[in-house]
Amino acid sequence: MSTDTATTDATALEDRTFLDRLRSSQFLSDLLSNRLALVGLTIIIGMVLIAIFARFSYDLGALRSSQLGTVSDRLAPGWTGTGAVDQHIFGTDASGRDIYKRTLYGAWIAIKYGTVTVAASTFLGVALGIIAAYYSDLTDNVIMRTMDVLLAFPSLLLALALVAIFGAGLWKVVIALTLVYTPRFARVVRGAALKVLEDEYIEATEALGAKDPRVLARHVFPNTLAPVTVQSTLNYGLAIIDFAALSFLGFGAAPGMPSWGLMLSNGVANGLLTGKWWMSLFPGLFLAVLVLGFNLLGDGMRDALDPRMRETVD
Amino acid sequence: MASKRFILKRLLLLVPVLLGVATFVFVILHLASGDPARVILGQRAPQEQVIQLRQELGLNDPLYIQYGRFLVDAAQFDFGESYVIAQGNSVRSVLADKIPVTLELALYGQVVGILLGIPLGVISAVKQDTLTDHLGRVGALSGISVPIYWSGPMLILAFSTYLSIFPASGRIGSTIFLDNHWTLLGMQLPLTGMVTVDTLLLGEFGAWTSAVTHLFLPAMTIGIYSMALISRMMRSSMLEVVRQDYMRTARAKGQGSKITIMKHGFRNALIPVITVIGIQFGSLLGGAVLTETVFGIGGIGTMLVSAIQSNDFPLVQGTVLTFALLFTLVNLLVDITYSYLDPRIQQ
Repeated sequence: MSTDTATTDATALEDRTFLDRLRSSQFLSDLLSNRLALVGLTIIIGMVLIAIFARFSYDLGALRSSQLGTVSDRLAPGWTGTGAVDQHIFGTDASGRDIYKRTLYGAWIAIKYGTVTVAASTFLGVALGIIAAYYSDLTDNVIMRTMDVLLAFPSLLLALALVAIFGAGLWKVVIALTLVYTPRFARVVRGAALKVLEDEYIEATEALGAKDPRVLARHVFPNTLAPVTVQSTLNYGLAIIDFAALSFLGFGAAPGMPSWGLMLSNGVANGLLTGKWWMSLFPGLFLAVLVLGFNLLGDGMRDALDPRMRETVD
Repeated sequence: MASKRFILKRLLLLVPVLLGVATFVFVILHLASGDPARVILGQRAPQEQVIQLRQELGLNDPLYIQYGRFLVDAAQFDFGESYVIAQGNSVRSVLADKIPVTLELALYGQVVGILLGIPLGVISAVKQDTLTDHLGRVGALSGISVPIYWSGPMLILAFSTYLSIFPASGRIGSTIFLDNHWTLLGMQLPLTGMVTVDTLLLGEFGAWTSAVTHLFLPAMTIGIYSMALISRMMRSSMLEVVRQDYMRTARAKGQGSKITIMKHGFRNALIPVITVIGIQFGSLLGGAVLTETVFGIGGIGTMLVSAIQSNDFPLVQGTVLTFALLFTLVNLLVDITYSYLDPRIQQ
């Protein structure tokens, strides 16, 4: 076999990589023709804009400090006509703080920490998954059996156990959740990478003298991108839910932080039985809508990447 | 027989995983900040007492000895005594008290999820790409997107605070007291710890009604989430099955209408759904932590949260290990069921 044909073969096979599919825009046109995915994307972009707006418009210190004395606590939203001041359109919480501003700022906290969590677990999972698939039985076994142990726990429980080790705090929760999600990525990536490695063209590139890192970076990695992107998007929603859950249980955000989880826990503690519905409604609604956005987009991406899903029943 | 070998192989694979889980749980105690002896005796205890207790607890022994001792104890399901929350009581007895509470909640939630999820998924599949299907899919996706700690409070606000149909918290009316054993043919038997079962065993129907109304909202909260997952799986599984060759044969043989076809496929479509139900049951145990917190139910979840907050290490270790064990066993059971339903898996 001449060097020329081998190179052409490798290039031809590379056509199937995720990036090429993106460029050939079959993927993009499929995704864009999926109305639900577009709705999801719109929600996410809207939330990101809200988050950035809140981050630069409101002072975190002011959002955290109690306003008791200047503003009454647990005021219903002004538009309900039950006597609240008009400027609090989402009402106020048990410390007299404005729920509208806090809910908007909550988007910044959710997206910021959610992004770090997803990025970190994606990176770790991809690295571990590719290494496990490429190297010998021993390396593979050590990595994947460790992942099995982590997967043996229900996810929220593992997060709680890790928080028991690390202690409470936003960044500690990020580390805990990163460790919780990494095994899922590692599994998906290892599976995809093994498929690529079985293909002969890897053998061909190796025969041509390509070194390990080059094979992994140029050939194996691009082929795992498709499943990883879907997994990341769907995991984003989960990360935001779990992140807020840990704050809700009292292990994430410090008291007073305008995090959605903490706001919901305040709403449950101070407003549930007395019917102060606005304390729970707004932060939870924003949280659910953002997560729905990621799930809609993730679903659409999966459909666009899996041609079988396009077939319809006649 | 192939299936026996399959089960045996899966059981053997469990050993290293459980050993890893136990090691991780052992590590919790040693990486966590806070001296156990100090936690037990309190901040004001004199230093000599703390040193003495450390000696008694074996905390001064070399790590490998402590590890070995932990493994031997854990294998016998012995995690020692609770430090703080139930001081003086064995972790085992605390868990025995709390597990039925959480299990009951998770079971009812799962039943709600199955009863709603399977029909919803089937309808969505039969009416694929119609408005009904789109609404069903968005509904199911919303069900997954709504966190339990929001749907729970919203249900409480609507059905408890405003409509006063269901109670907002607890497991049974506060004025109801139950015996701690029941009698059958003159024998005194222990109760199950599941309040909807116990009230029936005791023949207290008023109490049973109270227990069921208390469970309704928490079970719905879990059920909505579970319904969403199950209906999504049911839908895609139905659509997948319809594409199989044998379904084409059925159609070629003259099984005309789409609904007849779907009936053919339903049984086979259920197989992956069973997997989801099983896997999900494990994570429902995790979700119960949140549901219990919202509804003020004293199960294993609320206990775990306070155990972590108060550094009650043996209780944390015991709970985490038990959950992992339950989760792993349920997954194993799912795999085995699956392999019976679809023998191809065994290869």
